[in-house]
Amino acid sequence: MEDEAEIVPFPQDDERQIVAFGGGGFSMEAGNPLLDDYVLELARARRGRPRVCFLPTASGDADHYVVRFYRAFGAAGCEPSHVSLFRRDRGAADLRDHLLSQDLIYVGGGSVISLLGTWRAHGIDAILAEAWRRGVILCGLSAGSLCWYSQGVTSFHGEVLRVRGLGLLPWSNCVHYGSKQGPRESYHAMLRRGMCPGYAAEDGSALHFRGSRMVAAVASRPDARAWCVGDGGDRVIETALPTRFLGGEPRPGGDELQAVA
Amino acid sequence: MPGPIVAIGGAEFQMRPENEALHDYIVSLLDAPAPRVCLVPTASGDPRDQIGAFHATMERRGAVASSISLFRLGEDAIDPAAHLLAQDAIYVTGGSMVNLMALWREHGIDVLMRQAHERGILLCGYSAGSMCWFETGISRGAGAPAPVAGIGLLAGSHCVHYSQDPARRDAYRTAVAAGGIGPGLALDDHAAALFRDGRLVEAVRSRKTAAAFHVDAGPDGVAETAVAARLLPAPGAAPEPGLEEMRELRRMRSTRPPGPGRLGRRD
Repeated sequence: MEDEAEIVPFPQDDERQIVAFGGGGFSMEAGNPLLDDYVLELARARRGRPRVCFLPTASGDADHYVVRFYRAFGAAGCEPSHVSLFRRDRGAADLRDHLLSQDLIYVGGGSVISLLGTWRAHGIDAILAEAWRRGVILCGLSAGSLCWYSQGVTSFHGEVLRVRGLGLLPWSNCVHYGSKQGPRESYHAMLRRGMCPGYAAEDGSALHFRGSRMVAAVASRPDARAWCVGDGGDRVIETALPTRFLGGEPRPGGDELQAVA
Repeated sequence: MPGPIVAIGGAEFQMRPENEALHDYIVSLLDAPAPRVCLVPTASGDPRDQIGAFHATMERRGAVASSISLFRLGEDAIDPAAHLLAQDAIYVTGGSMVNLMALWREHGIDVLMRQAHERGILLCGYSAGSMCWFETGISRGAGAPAPVAGIGLLAGSHCVHYSQDPARRDAYRTAVAAGGIGPGLALDDHAAALFRDGRLVEAVRSRKTAAAFHVDAGPDGVAETAVAARLLPAPGAAPEPGLEEMRELRRMRSTRPPGPGRLGRRD
């Protein structure tokens, strides 16, 4: 198989983009805007002053979280807004129009199970899939990363749970990889039991997808890493992805990332 | 024997007389010396200020307060099943009924609530936390007021904030008149209703102007019948007993044999 491997050109023209953070951005890295700047830059390709909508659903629409979003994005040369599903003042049509008119939809962290349940109740899952197909960039951290994949592993609720996401990315995902909240062993055990292969991202790293293909791994910290993981038959194969640190000079070879799946 | 259910048309935990009287009423229905009362603030997204206010409200009454935040289950390390089923009362607050029902289903809380009811635990709540016990409520959870299915421990429909939210009231009356949802109970803010065995035992109010109505389809579309609501005693009429005295009082109540002389029990 390895002999037949061919280098596939990146589908840079695929407008469907997702940037999934293992952890980081304004929610977790006060004073380090590198990951947020990365997604904002992508959004600027769509509009000079991009529209950025925050979905704090996974936190129960916590007020302090919404305030922190506006603090981080209010002065960032964009048009920030947020949608609260606990205090809905928009009708269904408005909600859809609002989300589809965005350039970037930013999903906050928290409980992924509560996030997906609430989204389904409001039909947000279908709207986000439509937004993605139309080229609205989707991003988020933690629960806001897991939600885009077919499957994920979370220990947010104490015990380790397997979750089904929206499935826009046909992979599995583990966030906060290697920390207590990102249980590496449990993820590997699930991969061995038939969970589809996927991506593990440490805090401070983010995976950029076009369509279902990963086109870049970036990081807000020099040592943050991301991995491609899958069941290799007798063991789990964990491949470190060349990760570009956004805060300095690109590492040698950092741009030579090849399609990994 | 299934536990009682108290539906409240609207309230909060701020120390205002009309809220305090309702909380006195709920605690008066519990028999334990230091009743365990758990807050389930799902409908409003588990806000910490509400949780703090609930603890203060219940602890002032000698109750042992706790809460279950579905958005922070890992952090709090509470087993929802074991915890909820060990309570004397479960208090559900308002917010979005749409989200409340979706999240309960997602986390299996709807099943636990049914079990809690069957075990005799008192269930209560205001706004979304009042409508959730019925077959149908009228929720603004999706923007405009519209019928939403509850867990159905009580038959029929229920509308909260009845006189305070005219659009909700109109949507409720229209839905009942059209037969889309069953007849039911409408409650103003600070009006409440006690149900035992699925039957309305009494309606109460903590504000003179608060009212309760039975709403049914009628010849002219909708028939609205006022339900007599007893005005609750104003809190603070008697000097507030200290925490220990309150516990002492509860201990006395719970050890006395049931009878007409029993303190504080409204059967």
